[in-house]
Amino acid sequence: MSATTTTTARTTESLTTSTSTPGWARWANQHRKWLFAAPAMVFVALLIVFPVAWTVYLSLTDAEGSVRAESSFIGFANYLDVLSDTERFWPAVLRTVVFTSGVLLVEVVLGMAIALLLWRPFKGEKWVRVAVLLPLVATPVAVGMMWRLIFDPNIGMANRVLGWFGLGPWPWLAGEHSALPTTMFIDIWQWTPMVVLILLAGLTSLSDEPQEAALIDGATAWQRFRHVTLPLLMPTVLVAVLLRGIDALKTFDILYATKGKGGGSFHEVETLNVYAYGLSFDYNEYGVSSAVLIIFFLIIIGSMWALTSRRKDVA
Amino acid sequence: MRARTPFKTFRVVALILVVLSLLAPLAWMVAASLKTNVDIYNPDKALLFTPTWDNYATVLKQANYVQFIANSLWVAFAATALSILIGVPAAYSMSRFSMRRSALVVLMARVIPAVSLLVPWYYVFSNLHMVGGFTVLILSHMFVSLPLIVYIMMGYFDGLPLELEESGLVDGLTPIGAFRRITLPLSTPGIATAGILSFIFSWNNFMFALVLSSADTKTLPVAIFDFVGYASIDWGGLMAASTVVTLPIMLVALFAQKYVVSGLTAGATKG
Amino acid sequence: MLRQSVIGTSLAVAAALGLSACGGGDAQSAGSKTVRVTLANHVWTENIKKALPEFEKKTGLKVEITQLGEDQLSDQYNVKLNAGSSDIDVMMYRPLQEGKLFAKNKYLADVTDKVKANKDWDWSDFKSGPVQATTYEDKVVGVPLITEQEVLYYRKDLLKKAGYTNPPKTLDELKSMAAKIKQENPGVAGFVARTGKSPAVTQFSSFLYSFGGDFVDESGKSAVGSPEAKQAYAFYGSLIKDLGPANVSTDMGWPEAMAIFTQGKAAFYTEANSLYKNATDPAKSKVSGTVGFAPFPEGPAGSKPYSIPSWALGVNDASENQANAWKFIEWATSKAQTLENEKAGVPGGRTSVAADPAATATYPKDLVEANAIMANNGVGHDRPLVVKVAEAREIVGQPIVDAITGKDATASADTANQKFQTFLDDENK
Repeated sequence: MSATTTTTARTTESLTTSTSTPGWARWANQHRKWLFAAPAMVFVALLIVFPVAWTVYLSLTDAEGSVRAESSFIGFANYLDVLSDTERFWPAVLRTVVFTSGVLLVEVVLGMAIALLLWRPFKGEKWVRVAVLLPLVATPVAVGMMWRLIFDPNIGMANRVLGWFGLGPWPWLAGEHSALPTTMFIDIWQWTPMVVLILLAGLTSLSDEPQEAALIDGATAWQRFRHVTLPLLMPTVLVAVLLRGIDALKTFDILYATKGKGGGSFHEVETLNVYAYGLSFDYNEYGVSSAVLIIFFLIIIGSMWALTSRRKDVA
Repeated sequence: MRARTPFKTFRVVALILVVLSLLAPLAWMVAASLKTNVDIYNPDKALLFTPTWDNYATVLKQANYVQFIANSLWVAFAATALSILIGVPAAYSMSRFSMRRSALVVLMARVIPAVSLLVPWYYVFSNLHMVGGFTVLILSHMFVSLPLIVYIMMGYFDGLPLELEESGLVDGLTPIGAFRRITLPLSTPGIATAGILSFIFSWNNFMFALVLSSADTKTLPVAIFDFVGYASIDWGGLMAASTVVTLPIMLVALFAQKYVVSGLTAGATKG
Repeated sequence: MLRQSVIGTSLAVAAALGLSACGGGDAQSAGSKTVRVTLANHVWTENIKKALPEFEKKTGLKVEITQLGEDQLSDQYNVKLNAGSSDIDVMMYRPLQEGKLFAKNKYLADVTDKVKANKDWDWSDFKSGPVQATTYEDKVVGVPLITEQEVLYYRKDLLKKAGYTNPPKTLDELKSMAAKIKQENPGVAGFVARTGKSPAVTQFSSFLYSFGGDFVDESGKSAVGSPEAKQAYAFYGSLIKDLGPANVSTDMGWPEAMAIFTQGKAAFYTEANSLYKNATDPAKSKVSGTVGFAPFPEGPAGSKPYSIPSWALGVNDASENQANAWKFIEWATSKAQTLENEKAGVPGGRTSVAADPAATATYPKDLVEANAIMANNGVGHDRPLVVKVAEAREIVGQPIVDAITGKDATASADTANQKFQTFLDDENK
C-alpha cells in the first residue's frame, strides 16, 4: 500500500468520476452519513424495542409464576421494594461495583503493559500472540468448570501449588469472603487478552513520527509513553474501557459456572445480573426481576454516559 | 528502534511469565481430559499419570460433535460477516460525523442483559415460526457482534488521520469513493481484530443457543453441558468436550494470526 | 481487496440465510409423526435412548430427543413454557420441584383419562406416594419415572479397622462411630454430606423427620422453628462442622460431596440411593470395592428417610401432538421398560417391578436390603411442598449453612421460621 500506486489509481479514476457521476451516486454521497449508519441502527432498534418495552411493562405489575398468567398493575411498588431491599439488592449492587471496577482496573493496566511488550516485532511473536488469544477463545462456561476443579480446597491444584511455597490451604471459591476475589482473578485471566488485542490494534495505527521526534528530543521510555503514546492512544483506551466495562458489569457465565444459581449459599458472588437471573428463573418473580433489570439497565447507561462524555473531551 | 539489552532481557522474562500464566490452566484442562475420573480427583496424579483416550471416545461417540462444530462455525461466521457488512460503514459514519448519540443506540444492544431478552425474543420468534432455525441464531448473535464491531472500528477510525481521505477528495474521488479506496484498505488490521473478537464471542455464546436452537442447530457450548448429568459428573468427559470445543477456534486463531500479523506489520511501516 | 471479498461473502451469506429460514425451524403440524421429547441427563435417559429404535419400529413414530443438564432444563422450560411454545411434546420434570408450579400454570396436560384407559399398562401398579406427587387437584398430570430414598453410604474397611462389625443403627451411633474413625484416621473426615443452602435441604429432610419434625405442621404453619427442627439443624450442622472435611465449602451439592467420599476422604455419607453407581463404579470411585449401604439411621422419632419420585414424564398442554406424546410415555413407563431400567440401576415408580428379584440382581446386596426396609417407613416429600420451591428451599436451608459455619443455629432457625411463615402466607393469599 505505498503512496505511488494509490496515486496512479486515483488519477485514472479522477478522469471518469467528475463527468459521469450518476444522480443516485451523488445522492448517496450527500446522504452518506445516514446511509451508512442506518442499517445497523435499524437492526438494533428492531430487536430491542419489544423486549425493553415488555420489561418495563412487567416491572409495573406483580407478574410471577408464568408470564402469561393473570397479573395486576401495581405501579412502582416493585421499585420501592427493590430499592429498600438491603438484604439482597444493595449487596448485589456493591458486589457489582467492586467486581467491575476491580477487574477493569487490573485488566486495563495489565493489558496496556502487555500490549506495549508486544508492540515492536520480535522473534517468536506469532506464538506469543496465539498464547494471548487462547484464554479469550476458551468457552467461558468450560473455563469456569476448569477453575472450579483447580480451586477446589481439598482436591484442587491451586492449594497444592500453595503448599509448595509453604502457604496454608485457602478456601478460594468456597470461602465466604474469598469467592468474589477468586472470580475476579478468573475474569482477569480470561479477559485481559481482549484489552491487549484492542490496545495493540490502536498502537499499530499510531504513526511513528511523534515517537521518533520524542526520541530525538532525548525523552526516556517512560516519558515517551506518558506524554506521547498514551495521549494518542486515549481514544482506543476508552473504547477498551467502555467495551470491557459493560461486559464486566454483566458478567454471568463465570459466576454461574463456578458458584451456581444464587451466587453461592451466602450470595458471595451475586452481582446484579446474577440476582436478576435468579429472580427470573429460580423464583419466577417476573415483576420484581424486571424492576431490577430496569434499574441495572439505568446504572449501565449512566456509567456509559459518564464515560462517553469524557471521550468527547479527549478526542 | 534498537532495544537496549537490559530491556530486552526484562522483556523476554516478562513475556515468558505472561505466556505461562495464560497457558498453564489450559494445559491443565487438556491434561485432565486425558485422565480417568479417579485420577483427576487425585492431586498426586497431577503430572504423572497414565493417559487415556476414553474421555474423547465418550465425547465423540455420545453426541455428533462434527455437526455441532459445523453449526457453531456457520453461525459465528455468518453473524460476523453480516455484522462487518453493516457495522463498518456505520462506525465510519459515526466517527467522521461525531454521531455520539447514535453510537449509543447501537451500543445499547450490548448493554441489555441477555436475561431480559430471552422470554420476549422467544415469544416473538416462536410466533413467527423461526425458532430452531439458523436465522434466529444468527440474528441473536449479530445482536452481540454488531456493537462490538462498531465500537472498535469507531475508535480505529477516530485515530485515522483525515488528510489521507482529503487528499483523495482533492484528486477527484467522491467521499464514498475515498472511503472505499483509501480508508477501508487502511482499516484492515482494525477490521481483522474486530472480526476475530466478534467470531470468538459468537462461538462462545451460550445463553441464546440454549434457548433458541433445536437439536439440529445446537452449538458447542450447549453441547458441553450434556456432560453435567444428574447421576454423574464426568469431569474427564467435560474436560475432553471443552478441549474439543476450543480446538477448532484455536485453529481459527492460528490462521487469523497471520492476517493480524500482516495487517500490523503493514501499519508499522506506513508513513 | 478485503472489501470486495467481504461483500461477496456477505451476499452469499444473506442468500443462504433466506434459504435456511425456510429450512430449519419448527414446521410441526397437529398430530405429526414426530414426537419431541425433552429429557434430563440421567442414567434413565441413557437407557431409553438405547431402547428407542424398538419403539419407533413398533409405532412408526419418530422420536426427537433434546437432552440437557438439570439447571439448563429448568431454564429451557421456563422460557419455552412461559411463551406457550408447542415445541415440546413430552417433558421430563421434577414433581417436587416444579410439579406444582407447572400444574398451576397449566403447562401439564390432564392425562387422567389416558392413565385409566389401558388396563394392561396398569396405572394402579404405580407406587401411591409418587402418584400423589404427580396428581394436582385430583387430576393426573404426570407419570412417575424414578424414585429414590436417602441411604447411608459407608466405608466397610474403615469400620472394620475401628472395630465395628455393623453400620450404625441410630444417629447417635453414627456420630460416635464417625468421631472415632476420624480420630484414628487423620486426613479422613468422619462424615460428609451436601452443604449448599439449597441442595442440602433434601438430604437434611431425613434428619428432620427422624427427629420428629417437618417443614410445616398439620395445620400448614411453618414448623422449622420447632424444638425438633432446631435439634435436627444443630445435629446436621455439628456432624459436618466437627466431623466433616477441613475447610468444607458451603456450596457442596452432590457432585462435590460424592467426590469427597469416592476419593476415600470420608467414612460416612448420607445421600440419595439413586446415585449409588458413582460410588461402586471402579472407573469413578477409588473406594469402589469397599462401599457399604445401610438404612438411614434412627433418630429420636425413628428412621424416617424421604422416599420420593425425583422425576416424572408429562405432556405439554400446548403441544399439538398429545396423542402421540402419550404413546411415548405409555411405552417408556410400561412394565417391560421399567423393569429394564430398574435392572440398569434406576429404581422406577412401579411396585411390581420393585418387588421383582430380577430387577435388583446387579445391585449390591446390602443396598437391596436397605431399600426394602426404607420402602416401609419413607416420607413422601423431601422439601417444602409449595409452588415457589426454590425460594422456600433457600429460606429453610439457611439454618443448615449457619449451623455448619458455627453461627447461632437456634436464632437462625427462628428467623427462618418467621420468614417461612411470611412466605407461606404470601403463597396462600
